[in-house]
Amino acid sequence: MRTPGPLRLGGREFAVERPLVMAIVNRTPDSFYRPGLTWDESAALERVHAVVAEGADILDVGGVPAKPGAEVTVAEEIRRVVPFIERVRAAYPDLVISADTWRHEPARAMCAAGADLINDTWSAWDPALAEVAAEFGAGLVCSHAGMLTPRTRPHRPAFADVVADVLDRVLLLAERAVKAGVDADRIVIDPAHDFGKNTWQSLEITARLSELTATGWPVLLSASHKDFVGETLGAGVDDRLAGTLAVTAVGAWLGVRVFRAHDVRETRQALDMVASIKGDRPPSRTVRGLA
Amino acid sequence: MIVAAAICPSPPLLAAELTGQADILPELRAACAAAVTRLLAAAPDVVAVVGPAETTGPWDAAGQLSLASFAPALRQGPPLADNSKKRDAGPLVAAPPLPLALGLGALLLDQAGYTGPRTLDGIAEDEPAATCLALGRRLAASARRVALLAVGDGTARRSASAPGYLDERAAPFDEAVERAVRDGDLPAIAALDPALATALLAVGRPAWQALAGALSATDPGGAGLRPAGHSAAGRPQTEVLYSDAPLGVAYLVATLIP
Repeated sequence: MRTPGPLRLGGREFAVERPLVMAIVNRTPDSFYRPGLTWDESAALERVHAVVAEGADILDVGGVPAKPGAEVTVAEEIRRVVPFIERVRAAYPDLVISADTWRHEPARAMCAAGADLINDTWSAWDPALAEVAAEFGAGLVCSHAGMLTPRTRPHRPAFADVVADVLDRVLLLAERAVKAGVDADRIVIDPAHDFGKNTWQSLEITARLSELTATGWPVLLSASHKDFVGETLGAGVDDRLAGTLAVTAVGAWLGVRVFRAHDVRETRQALDMVASIKGDRPPSRTVRGLA
Repeated sequence: MIVAAAICPSPPLLAAELTGQADILPELRAACAAAVTRLLAAAPDVVAVVGPAETTGPWDAAGQLSLASFAPALRQGPPLADNSKKRDAGPLVAAPPLPLALGLGALLLDQAGYTGPRTLDGIAEDEPAATCLALGRRLAASARRVALLAVGDGTARRSASAPGYLDERAAPFDEAVERAVRDGDLPAIAALDPALATALLAVGRPAWQALAGALSATDPGGAGLRPAGHSAAGRPQTEVLYSDAPLGVAYLVATLIP
């Protein structure tokens, strides 16, 4: 158990009650949602300007899709993301930049280029990531992927209690990260919906996010347009925004602090709405019945 | 001796509760039900279920599949009323839940209304062929009339969207298995390469080889495991009821009657 406190990322400090939007920028030609949207560097930079204007707090930059496919070498991953991060850092000195990677070599290059957080969705498949985070004073996302090898699909995952399994893993990784020298105020835990889980199990994690937030560690929720939303609603990949926002709202209500999103404006609106329902944020303008 | 044998696959979605509102692959479920019906029509004294497991050994005949391990929402107990309270995530039954293949085998027997004696044997996924064949022979000798249900799947690498992604060796492997089963070619089943099966995620391999061992022990023509082609007299009568890989995993349903 940890007493909830401010989350420090880069030079910024974010209070407990301030939900953060992490905007996804894929430097890939083949990610699952809107493939190739920001493969072109100028398109990627345009998206950065757009999501910053829409209220993104963190930019999550990745160069390798999660799904199986053609190999992306370490050198190619670095080529895809590092020059881009350098340009973003030059344009936005204070913007929090997250490195979405599972290998320590690209992580090191991305941190050297200005990344403030390592988003390790594959659950410490490469344990050296924590050392890289410690070396650069960066943050680390500690996730659960059911012990899958990166870029593989879950095949019949079964758990006596999926939430207990998630808690065991992410708390172990957070503890290891602190021991490796990562600043505890820069550690985030992520149950990683769909990673090593079927739809039922991702729904269970969503319903029980309070058990993750109760640990005191800041929780990251990454649900945007994912398969568990699609399977739950019978919705194709382009038709999952409403489902994504419903998951977002549940997470916000249960105390999640970081929301990884493709749709920044809509996510920010949903979070503002929940924050006002909770009493954490005054409404923008209230005159109805008050004249 | 073996009076009837059947092969069924083991996708969790064979349990209809796990597929939500949709009826997924009803034709596969129907084929499995038909295969089990034929097993039971042979009036066995005991039904022996074999399937892949983490370790080799028998399981409690009263055991069941834990649906909740795949779909936590299906656990028994009060519905979720308050998100702030931790739900009891215990299994549906008191006994430790069965490995997937054995659990589905037990489910198929239950669904067929079978209440007679049954045994459930797990076989480790890396068990050598000789061990699997020997287990089959032992099961064949375990009663006067034994029906054998071998539960397990073909490869899981049939397409780019398959659980194990595409492997070009997967389709030929599955075709070879189907041909061997269709031809009642027990030596060909016995000769399946465990390492290749593992590489292709074909977890049914040890169960199929147990079936080959059981049927060869029962062979009235005495052909046993001699190479195919030497004698067709001892081959079982076979029928393939389903063979396809609609989700990237090869599902084979067949009956083999000595």
